[in-house]
Amino acid sequence: MSEQKKTDFHVVNHSVPRRDGRAKVTGKALYVGDVKLTGMAYARVLRSPYGHAKIVSIDASRAAARPGVIAFLTGDNLGGLNPYYGHAVKDHPLVAIEKVRYAGEPVAAVVAEDERAAFEALEFIDVRYEELKPVLTPKEALEKGAPLLHERKFEAGALRGFEGDVTAGRGTNICQEAHLRWGDVEAAFAKAAAVVEAEYYFPMAYAYAMEPYVAIAEVNENGVTIYSSAQHPFMVRHDLTTVFNLPVSQIRLIVPFVGGGYGSKSYTKIEPLVAACAWKAKRPVKLQLSVEEAMLTTRSDDALTWMRTAVDSNGKIIARQAKIYMNTGAYAENSPLVCEKATNRCVGPYAIANVQIDTYSIYTNTVPASSYRGFGCAQVTMAGESQIDELAAKIGKDPYEFRLMNVAHPSEEFFPKMRAFDGNLKQDLEIVAQAIHWKEPRSKGRGRSIGCSVSDAGAYPLTSTVVRVHADGSVSIMTGSTELGQGSHTIIPQIAAEELGVPFENVRVVASDTAITPYDRSTGASRTTTLMGRAVLEASREAIEQMARMAADVLKRAADEIEVIKGGVQCGEARLTWSEVISRYYGLPDGEVIGRAYIRKSGDFAKLPVFWETACTGVEVSVDEETGRIRMEKLATAGDVGLAINPALAEGQDIGAATMGMGIGLFEELVYEGSQLVNGSLLDYRVPRFSDLPRDVKLQLVENRDGVGPYGAKGGGEAALNSMPANIANAVYDAAGVRIRQAPLTPEKVWRALKEKKAEGRKQ
Amino acid sequence: MMPLRRFQMHQPKSVKEAAEMLAHYGEKGRLYAGGTELLLAMKHDLLRYEHLVDVKTVPGLDKIEAQNSSLRIGSVATHRSIEKSPLVKERLPVMAEMTRYIANVRVRATGTLGGNIGFAEPHSDPATLLLALGAKATLQGQTGERSLAMNEIIVGAYETALAPDEILTAIEIPLPARSQRAIYLKFQIHERPVLGLALIVDVDASGNTITKAKAVVGAVSPAPCRSDKADALLVGPKDKVEKQLTDAARALADAADPVDDLEGSAEYKRHLIGVYLRRAFTQALASPLRNP
Ligand SMILES: Cc1cc2nc3c(=O)[nH]c(=O)nc-3n(C[C@H](O)[C@H](O)[C@H](O)COP(=O)(O)OP(=O)(O)OC[C@H]3O[C@@H](n4cnc5c(N)ncnc54)[C@H](O)[C@@H]3O)c2cc1C
Repeated sequence: MSEQKKTDFHVVNHSVPRRDGRAKVTGKALYVGDVKLTGMAYARVLRSPYGHAKIVSIDASRAAARPGVIAFLTGDNLGGLNPYYGHAVKDHPLVAIEKVRYAGEPVAAVVAEDERAAFEALEFIDVRYEELKPVLTPKEALEKGAPLLHERKFEAGALRGFEGDVTAGRGTNICQEAHLRWGDVEAAFAKAAAVVEAEYYFPMAYAYAMEPYVAIAEVNENGVTIYSSAQHPFMVRHDLTTVFNLPVSQIRLIVPFVGGGYGSKSYTKIEPLVAACAWKAKRPVKLQLSVEEAMLTTRSDDALTWMRTAVDSNGKIIARQAKIYMNTGAYAENSPLVCEKATNRCVGPYAIANVQIDTYSIYTNTVPASSYRGFGCAQVTMAGESQIDELAAKIGKDPYEFRLMNVAHPSEEFFPKMRAFDGNLKQDLEIVAQAIHWKEPRSKGRGRSIGCSVSDAGAYPLTSTVVRVHADGSVSIMTGSTELGQGSHTIIPQIAAEELGVPFENVRVVASDTAITPYDRSTGASRTTTLMGRAVLEASREAIEQMARMAADVLKRAADEIEVIKGGVQCGEARLTWSEVISRYYGLPDGEVIGRAYIRKSGDFAKLPVFWETACTGVEVSVDEETGRIRMEKLATAGDVGLAINPALAEGQDIGAATMGMGIGLFEELVYEGSQLVNGSLLDYRVPRFSDLPRDVKLQLVENRDGVGPYGAKGGGEAALNSMPANIANAVYDAAGVRIRQAPLTPEKVWRALKEKKAEGRKQ
Repeated sequence: MMPLRRFQMHQPKSVKEAAEMLAHYGEKGRLYAGGTELLLAMKHDLLRYEHLVDVKTVPGLDKIEAQNSSLRIGSVATHRSIEKSPLVKERLPVMAEMTRYIANVRVRATGTLGGNIGFAEPHSDPATLLLALGAKATLQGQTGERSLAMNEIIVGAYETALAPDEILTAIEIPLPARSQRAIYLKFQIHERPVLGLALIVDVDASGNTITKAKAVVGAVSPAPCRSDKADALLVGPKDKVEKQLTDAARALADAADPVDDLEGSAEYKRHLIGVYLRRAFTQALASPLRNP
């Protein structure tokens, strides 16, 4: 579909400065936190101190009598609402009903004239609990006679029907399972030349975003209006239609800038609670969580992965089998999808003839897990890419060469029934190998690793948009994609400017207001450039077609005599800009032309995934063998993005994702003692800092224009995260000879492994 | 983090007035300097006070002055002003250097030395170094002034010997002699150190014999710790001391008696004490004598 040569582009494939950059660094950008509605009241939340308990009684009358208090919300005063939500399964009450399932769960909310009055009233709510035995790990949750988190069966949410059935609520603590198999795994392992088998762990992590969850809701005769920090306003809208039993037209989600998401802001979070508060208070209500409360709202699934992988005598990978236990916390949230995606992504970017993956997402009395950048891919790639290195070591092959030999080839149907591979991993690997000087000797105490991953990305292709060309030639794009910092509001106008041949400056975006902007399923799974980008391209072209017909009309010529040129049309001597076309068509310098596009699962998008998201990362680390501390010395990424609409932004995604993956590799982990999260603040939970990054960073893009997005583009943004934890483990092995299979590789863990190695050395 | 509960702020004009205010409000009041610890703890609802007495409105408490053989740092001096002070850099470079690595620049720009010591958070960098340097804290209450050594003022985790009406006004640090070398090293993963280690050694003219030593380990236990036994093992000819470093580290670790926590296991911390004592020792003996 892409005729232009790379050198022909005048706006796309250029690193135009990001639209929102200046507003953001000068503090002028509007976030939900900045929004203040007339008559707005404030809510604060009382949270459960117990991991698992029955709510025997709850009495908020003392709180209600406090100065400034307007209303309160408890599980037993929700009459009139359908309080359970969840886009996979509706297992999540907007505030605890009858029992609490994790420490930190909202038990009540108070609405008051100001935040402090609401907060100060919380301790006057009298709650009596009867403690129940908590289950904290998948192992405990699956034991015979283990207490059940959820006793009832649930209604399905919006996801059902698109992505498979849900197991939750069937009398066990299994929230979801997914199974994948092809070939004959047992036979393949039986005849293998070499096999590696081990268990790997990916920790519970918090996708720290600078902006914690925040929402403002107003409920009146027109319906429900919510300003939210949500990534996917249309998915949140779906949940609210059932909570309030209202048609789609009466639920409105407005999302201004979002201060970072990384998965943590996908799907519904605090919106039902805030809307219920507003409904009770009959006033607009704002709820702004703190970072500590956000850490009690969502986290990543931690995953214990048993895996074995086999090669034949030629060093070709012939089989992979894995069993994955994901700890999904108290509520399903997006974990059923994470479970399915982890299963698919566990195969890795390799063409393997025999595969069997079995994944279980298990409910436990911990903070509910949900999407985390990479959607399950990071969890299983810790196992997969570690194992590739272990296997290479076992058969005496260089792990880089071993990968080169086994990665899926361009156009190869490496995953049955899915889209053929649309990337070029060999090229990606080579670029990274060169960037980190793979072939050169390592200095003492240093080690290197190169890793890759592949994800069935793009989620479900359902996107629509409107491109409005105004009579002065300027353009407004109506888009449901949210700007989370990833740069969508820069690349979307770049694409329209390219197509319409108008200056980038004149193209503006109206975004993420479900009452105004057309439906876009989500801003996640790295899908915006590919799907929204393609929609904007098609809508622009549709507008052009309309304007060409209008030009024929005003010039009184046949339609086929009109030639589209940059920024307008030409017909013989006559040249008209879009502005002239529209103005002459309407007979006034006013009016507009509306271009539309609908993307669905057909045509280029008939086959899933929308695209294979792939990237390659490489690191060099040094290990202080006395303390066990790892330092990053080099980092290289190759983003296989088809075509970078904005190269600087695409590289920004790669360094961001790689840094996040490095955090998991080095130190990020939520720690539980019993049912209490004990490092639930930024003082104790360590997120990466700039100073953790090496000086030597090389970010590169591979642009083969092999995606289904505009001009051959496809998404990035998650892929550079996935291989990083394994990279760090592999590089530590390369540097110090110890194999660590549990992320994060904290200094103490590395030190212990080294100590054990020394002890074994002495024994021999 | 929660909204701050209501409180009243008071602005004394003298130490005496501040002391009177503290005495008056008792349990309900607290001295407030930069607020980097206090306000954070209040926002986490861990501490509640109805009255805060702002020590910053008392003039003169942020002075940094040199005296004959000591440096006097006013309790309200911020970490940033200490780190940047030409006087500290020249007379007591180890103090400036240690301060440079406290927290982050935002905390250093607001946080004070008095607040650091006054809070007695166990992972304090200054507390460890100041104990090794033999610093004294000057306290002033309604009835008078007294002076305490660092191990007298910091008595446990978040526990000081300050009387309810007492204010820490300054820290007086004796300047190391020409023959002395002072090193402070720390190991850090999170916001605060896992371990801090200060070592002061007196080296004879030959540069090969240690005549006096003081090692202090901080952050691994409720308060910074030292051990006579460890210090004794650190004295003698360099070669001999090198061989005794493991024993010295063990003695220091025994005195500190670290516990398992989020920063690491006790075993790991004991190991780190050994690593850092050796590193500090090597650096101390390698560092040139200060110019006369
Ligand atoms: C993110 C972060 C990272 C940090 N990292 C480090 C680190 O790496 N190393 C380190 O050593 N420290 C670290 N700290 C602690 C930091 O040094 C202290 O927060 C700061 O020095 C406290 O000073 P303040 O003026 O803000 O005290 P405040 O918060 O105002 O007061 C703290 C306490 O001391 C009392 N107090 C204050 N002044 C006096 C006085 N003159 N007399 C008696 N009592 C007084 C107050 O009543 C209060 O109880 C960190 C802190 C934060 C928030």
